[in-house]
This record gives sequence, structure tokens and C-alpha cells, in this order.
Amino acid sequence: MEFRLTVANTAFIVLTILGPFLIAAVAVLPGILSASGGAMGGAPTKIALLGADPQFAREIAPALRPSGVEVSSVPGSPESLDAQVLAGTFDGYLALPSDLSRIDKLEYVSRNAADFRVMGLLQSVIGPAIVARRLVAAGVPASQVASLARSPSFEERRLSRSGKTKDSNFVAVLMTGLTLSMLIYMTVLLYGQAIGRSVLAEKTSKTVEIMLSSVRPMDLLFGKILGKSMASLLQYGIWVTISAAAMKLFGPRLGLDVGAGLSSGMLAYLVLFFVLAFFLYCSVYAALGASAQDEQQLGQFAWPLIAFLAIPLVMISPILMAPRSPLAVALSFFPLTAPIVMFLRISVGAARGWEILLSVALTVAAAIGIIRLSAKIFKVGILMTGKRFRLREVLLLARYD
Amino acid sequence: MIELRKVRKNFGQVKAVDELSLSTKEGGIFGILGPNGAGKSTTIKMIMNILKPDSGSILFNGRPLRESDKDRIGYLPEERGLYRKVKIDEMLLYLASLKNTDRFTALKRLDLWLDRFDLKEWKTSTPEALSKGMAQKVQFIATVLHDPEFLFLDEPFSGLDPVSVDSLREAILELESRGKTILFSTHNMEVAERICSRLLVIDHGREVISGSLSDIKARYGRNTVAVEFDGSIDFGSLSGMVSNLSRFPRWVELELAEGASPQALLKLLVGQVAIRRFEVVAPSLHDIFVKLVGG
Repeated sequence: MEFRLTVANTAFIVLTILGPFLIAAVAVLPGILSASGGAMGGAPTKIALLGADPQFAREIAPALRPSGVEVSSVPGSPESLDAQVLAGTFDGYLALPSDLSRIDKLEYVSRNAADFRVMGLLQSVIGPAIVARRLVAAGVPASQVASLARSPSFEERRLSRSGKTKDSNFVAVLMTGLTLSMLIYMTVLLYGQAIGRSVLAEKTSKTVEIMLSSVRPMDLLFGKILGKSMASLLQYGIWVTISAAAMKLFGPRLGLDVGAGLSSGMLAYLVLFFVLAFFLYCSVYAALGASAQDEQQLGQFAWPLIAFLAIPLVMISPILMAPRSPLAVALSFFPLTAPIVMFLRISVGAARGWEILLSVALTVAAAIGIIRLSAKIFKVGILMTGKRFRLREVLLLARYD
Repeated sequence: MIELRKVRKNFGQVKAVDELSLSTKEGGIFGILGPNGAGKSTTIKMIMNILKPDSGSILFNGRPLRESDKDRIGYLPEERGLYRKVKIDEMLLYLASLKNTDRFTALKRLDLWLDRFDLKEWKTSTPEALSKGMAQKVQFIATVLHDPEFLFLDEPFSGLDPVSVDSLREAILELESRGKTILFSTHNMEVAERICSRLLVIDHGREVISGSLSDIKARYGRNTVAVEFDGSIDFGSLSGMVSNLSRFPRWVELELAEGASPQALLKLLVGQVAIRRFEVVAPSLHDIFVKLVGG
């Protein structure tokens, strides 16, 4: 019933159809933005090289052009260029001495101080060009300069217990962790509230007594949570499928690497912990819905819960850097944070088999315990409709009912 | 058959139900009567196992109520509620399916009941479109759709117009004639008087009186006289014979004092006024109720 009701809802259908576009927009827009650079299709950034050898300007120009930066050698004084920058002829200028190999410090002058992108670009292009000039000046053959100046690249390999080595990618792990956290966060906001409201509605629409004359409160709540979660998982399924298809189609064109570093094993863990977190939070919301008198109160009750969601979110990097620290281990067992934290620990290979089992078991136990408690609160709540009551009272009543 | 043995339920300091005992026979209509807040709903909720008594026992066919027994019970709670967004036929069939009634049977019964209560055209609308009275009739259908042997109805007539009261009363009587055991609570004495075979009057959670309607009437009856007359009665002269009187414009109801006979009263009155009607009446349940519960 709950499932059908939810699925038949117009808002649900609209969201299901719009969802992938929203997700795609969120996932793809930053990619498009960074790919097209700060220029965003606008005019190129014009930079003057004051007093530079025109030959040098020609050397570095090809490396800068793709990013939307044009350099040109300009004669004159700093004062005259200050005026030109202020007038908008150039976006900024670099004062270069005639002997480039002796430079220790370069000053980039521009109107907007926060132009990090241009700054970084200039550093990465002009820096090596100057080092190369120094090497040539010191007598190194020009043909060898490139190979001598190159610093070695770093790669990482992780040993796993099975003896096989795996490639690991900190950024990929970070992104997967973030994805899971955001997924759970969004879901809880979307559906947790809905379940809370649905349970609350059972009380406010007075249907609860009819239902209780047929089924046990426990069954009623389980049914509600199952129905709503099936509906939302269906929605998620549709979203993920469409998004994945869209990414496959458009991802390569946009130069995005989607799902990098996510092995099938990790994918399984991702699904497992997502489902665990989903049911746990849904059951907590059901309990909150059972205790609340109206939607406003439900919202108030929900805040601490959202705080628990935020903990792993803000702690992702500390946990990834020290996955065996006592705090990380504790958080990976505490049911409300366990799914995300344990997933992070697994993804960096810092969780033992029994730890994973214990974490899963604790989360499942907590979910069932909370549903039991909410069933009791629910039963007690029937007597108390119309009267605000405190949590302590609820727990007391739940015990002696 | 339902049996309550010294059942007690407190809500904090308030004694909602206090040492209440009752037993229904198989078949028949059993009424629980009492003023607001007497503990009627609490009693029914305890029978339904929605509330747990603090002490005492409640037996259903000689043993505590089991989850599986719920399929044989139809319960109409005092707090009416329907899923607001669900079509009426869909919801009723769903509720029947929760009682393990197969869809085909439920569908057939549904049409009969909707027809009976003139709700056929509302079959596929949602409860939002219904008036309060219609919603209540829909709720009654939800209570009986799985054809239960036992019906527990909490204030089934409250909020209904007289025509609906009649059709609901007929439905209940018909269910009784088909052998159902019906237990219902009400403070509407008129209806109770017309359909109850046995009843229990409670006040402040305690039994005030119980038994069959005829027993109760017999116990309290035959001591009231209705007199319609022309002229004026000297009520002072009646003081020894009459313990209580209710005056109406053209007639009076006199309650005879202990040991006084209607004949003696009639003799006395004949000398004072022209009597148009003199009737020894059984008191209405309403009178008994008001007297017992303290009007």
C-alpha cells in the first residue's frame, strides 16, 4: 500500500523523471566549467610581458593558448603598463628582466588579485621555461634540457591480504566516499522525512487503530519502511541507470572519468552500506514520526539526526588519512556513522573481516531495535495524541505499556 | 464469547477502568453504556489488545486474544480515520486483505454494502470528497467487510443523521440475526434501548448495573406512573406516595415511593383532576441511566 501510494504520487513521478537531469547537471556542470576554463567561452585573458625577449614570449605562448591566455611582449615602463591594465587593454602583466636566467622572483600585476587559475598557469609554464634557460646558460645541451628537468612521477601500489597488489587512488577513494555520504545524506533528507511524515499521518489521520486491529504495530512499521524504501530504491535504480547510461554516452566527450577506482567488490560494499544506512535512518525517522505530534515537531526531532550524518561527511579526510585511529574505528562501529565510516575504511583497505561483520551486525541490530522501539512509541503515542510529551515520558511509557 | 475479569487500567492518577467484569454470550448485542469519560473506549481498546490492562484478565473464547483471532473481529474505533489519498474501494479491499479475506469475496460484499448505504457512486473517489457521515459509513463497511464473527463498535452512531442511524441500526440488527456477536459502546440511550439485548452501564470506570435489558427495566420499572390530566394537582398531598416527579405541560411522570401502589395514587388523583390518561410505565433506559449516573 505504502509502495503503491508513493509510486502513484505525481511528485514522485516528476522527480523520478527529472532526477537524472538534476544529477547529471550537478555531476557534469563542474566538469564543463573546469574544462572550458575560467574563460567560460569568454574573451581570452591578455597578459603583457614587460621588457621580455620577444623570442621568450613566442616560446611560451603555445603552452598558454589552449587555456585561454594570450601573452605578448610589450616595451615600456611599469607605470605605463599599470595604466594600460587599469584601462583594460591587458588583464595583467609580468615584469621580466632582460637576463631571464637570473630571476628569483616574478611579480604578476592584475586587477583581480584572486585570479588563481592564471597565476598557477603562469607558474607551471614560465617556471620550467626559466629553469631550462638557466640550464642552457650553464652549458647543458638544449636537446637534453627537457629530460634533465623532468621530475619523476609518483605512483602508489597497495598490498592486500590476498597477496595481489592493487592500484589505489586517494582521490578516487575520496570521491567514492563522498558520493556514498552524499547519496545517504540526500536520501535521508528526501525519504527519511517522508517516512517520518507517513508514520505521523497514520496517527493524525486516526487510521492507526484500524490498522492495529488487523496487524501488529511492528508489522505496520516494517511495512511502512519497506514500502517507502522499495519505492525510493526503485527511484534510485532508475536514476542510477539513466545517469550511468548518460555518463557512458557523454562522459568521454567531456573528458570525465566516472567511477574510476571503483572495483566490483567496492561497488558491492557501496550498495550494502547504502542499504544498511538507508534502513537504519528510515527506522529512526519512523521512531521520530511515532513520537512527534505534528510536522513541525518532527522537523525539530530530525536535526540531531542530520548532525550524525554530517559527522562522517566532514571527517572524510582525517578518516582516510588515519583509518585505524581509535576515533575512526569507534565511528565505524557506532551505528549512525558506521555505514559511511566503515565503507571509507574498507576502501583504503584498513578494515579487517571481523570488523566489517561486527559493524554490519551492529547496524542491523540497531535498525531492528529502533523499529521495535518505534512500534512501542507508536502504540503509546495513540493514547497521547493531542498532548505534547517529552522523550523521557515516551521511553518510560514504552517500557511499562 | 468475551469475558473480562476484574480488569483495571489507570492513566497516571486517573482510574479509567476499575475492577470491571463482564461476559457476553455468543450472539446478541451487548451494549456498554456510560457518560463521556466513563471508560467505554478504554474497555473496548483493551478487549482489542490495543491497550494492556494493568491487572485482571480478558478472555476471548476462554483464552487470551491471539493475533490470529483478529481476523474474526471487526473493530470500529471511536477515532475515525481513513487514508485520505486512497480510493475508497481500493482501501476497503486492502483492509479486508489484511484480515485474510480473498479479493473476489471481498469485492462481492463490497458492492452489497456500498449499495446498502447509498455509497455506490463514491466507490472510486477518495475520502477527502466524503462528508463526515459518509466517511463513517465507509468505516463501518471496513469493519464488516471480512464478515467477522465478532463486532466491536465504539460509538457507531455518533455524528450520523437520523436516516443513517436507522440504516446502520438495521444493518447491525441484521448482522445479529446472522449469529454475530456484537459489542458496542454508546451514550445514545434511545438507540441502545432499541437494539441491545444485554447491557452494562459504567461510570468512572466502575460497573453501575448490568444484565439483560428486560431485567434492568424490571428492576427499575413498574414504579413510575404517567398521568395526563386537566386541572391542577395539589402535589403537596402526594408527598407520602411519590418520591420523585417530572412535570411536563400537560402531564407528569410520578415515581412511586416505596410501598405505594398505583391504585392508591389513582384514587387520590381522581378527586383532584380530570384524568385523561393514567399509565404504569417502565422507565426509559434514558431515565434509568440518568438516575444511576446522576443527572
